[in-house]
Amino acid sequence: MYRRQVRRRRAVLVLLVVACLVLISTHFSEGESGPLHSAQNGIGSVLSPLEDGANQALKPFRDLVNWFDETFAARGENEDLRAEVQDLRLQLTEAEEELAAGLERGKIAKIADADPLAAYTVVDASVSARSASTWNQIMRIDKGSSDGVAVDDAVVDGDGLVGRVSAVDGGSARVTLLSDQESSVTAKVLEGGPLGVVGPVVGDPKDLLLGLIQGDDEVKPGAGVITAGIDDPSLPSRYPAGIPIGEARESQVGEQELRQQVHITPYADLTNLDSVAVLTGGPS
Amino acid sequence: MIFTPRILLTVSLIVFVSVLLQLSFFSQLPLLGSVANVVPVVVVTMGLLGGALPGAVSGFFAGLLLDSALGTTLGVTSLALMAGGYLAGRWREGYDVVSSLVPPLLTGLLTGVSAAIYAAMQLMLGVDAPVSLLVLREIAAQALFGALLAIPLFPLVRRLLRPALVQDGRVVRRRVGRGGILGAAG
Repeated sequence: MYRRQVRRRRAVLVLLVVACLVLISTHFSEGESGPLHSAQNGIGSVLSPLEDGANQALKPFRDLVNWFDETFAARGENEDLRAEVQDLRLQLTEAEEELAAGLERGKIAKIADADPLAAYTVVDASVSARSASTWNQIMRIDKGSSDGVAVDDAVVDGDGLVGRVSAVDGGSARVTLLSDQESSVTAKVLEGGPLGVVGPVVGDPKDLLLGLIQGDDEVKPGAGVITAGIDDPSLPSRYPAGIPIGEARESQVGEQELRQQVHITPYADLTNLDSVAVLTGGPS
Repeated sequence: MIFTPRILLTVSLIVFVSVLLQLSFFSQLPLLGSVANVVPVVVVTMGLLGGALPGAVSGFFAGLLLDSALGTTLGVTSLALMAGGYLAGRWREGYDVVSSLVPPLLTGLLTGVSAAIYAAMQLMLGVDAPVSLLVLREIAAQALFGALLAIPLFPLVRRLLRPALVQDGRVVRRRVGRGGILGAAG
């Protein structure tokens, strides 16, 4: 009797392990429109309203925990922010003086036309679900194709770029964050800095890596990094140009790397996202 | 564990609610550079209460739900959670839970094992980005959170599944109390 139980247990276990391995290999081998992906998207769509409901119901508890967390963090940040505000005021004054001088000289004609994001429609969304693993930095938002959201739309928050829409259904969308292992963004360093590709450092959502840097210009710590938004029709960028990504922290040249790599601190807090905005549409 | 349709429904509901709570609540609360993961805690609890097979099966389906909800590679989370549930069940089949400290400690350990297996699977499948050593911190944090979550969750799940448990101390005591060991009191 006991031996039969053990045999049955082993058989079920082997069956489950084989099922997992088959699922993994099929998931990798088939395309995005394959039956397994379709079934997965279907289950995701069914779960989405439940996630929304649970998210709304549990929001007060989450806000309470975040309130304690932010209160403790805010005490430490207060002094730093005061110093930063003073510094930014000085920079703003200098920039306004330069702008006024430029306008007088006729160098700057139409500022509004230069805004690359003006052509996009902003769709506000709430985060309804999120992966628990640092290996997969994916979240689900409560806006989908019925709200105009499409695959590859850029997702931002008040601080900067967050990620892009990687799958969409009627009422929800899946967002792949900048810190996901499959994420890559063409970016450029501000003030005439070089172009490069921003990717993640798996395991640390507060660290991004600017690699494949074109040119020999050294990127200095503190330099801002924004999306490059390449317009080449043969290789268009998924992201519009001019979205802030982060700030260069340290530059390094690895032993086996020919080009420098720059660690970037993202402006957006990728670990704690409650509401985001999707940039839909864009220039036709 | 004695499986009846009602118990199967209860187990399915517990697993489903834990997945929903994970996606909509715990995953959105960053703590110590990581997040608490309630799903392996529930799966390990299933293993500790029901044995290796219920632990492995609940781990498999919980993983499928998680991977489907977020569009990640199907099967990877299932494999990691199955290992945690199966090992918990094997432990339960060999030893008794003699102290109230055993479930949290074992759950913490096996949550860490599940997280480590998940990380190993990801590395084997290939990662196109540099990997920070902070993944080790995440495994440790998940083990710690697992142990802490098990303190309220283990008694709660045991209470929900009590009618199906073969060796639940309270059930045995109640039966003995009502009728005596030989039924003399009746």
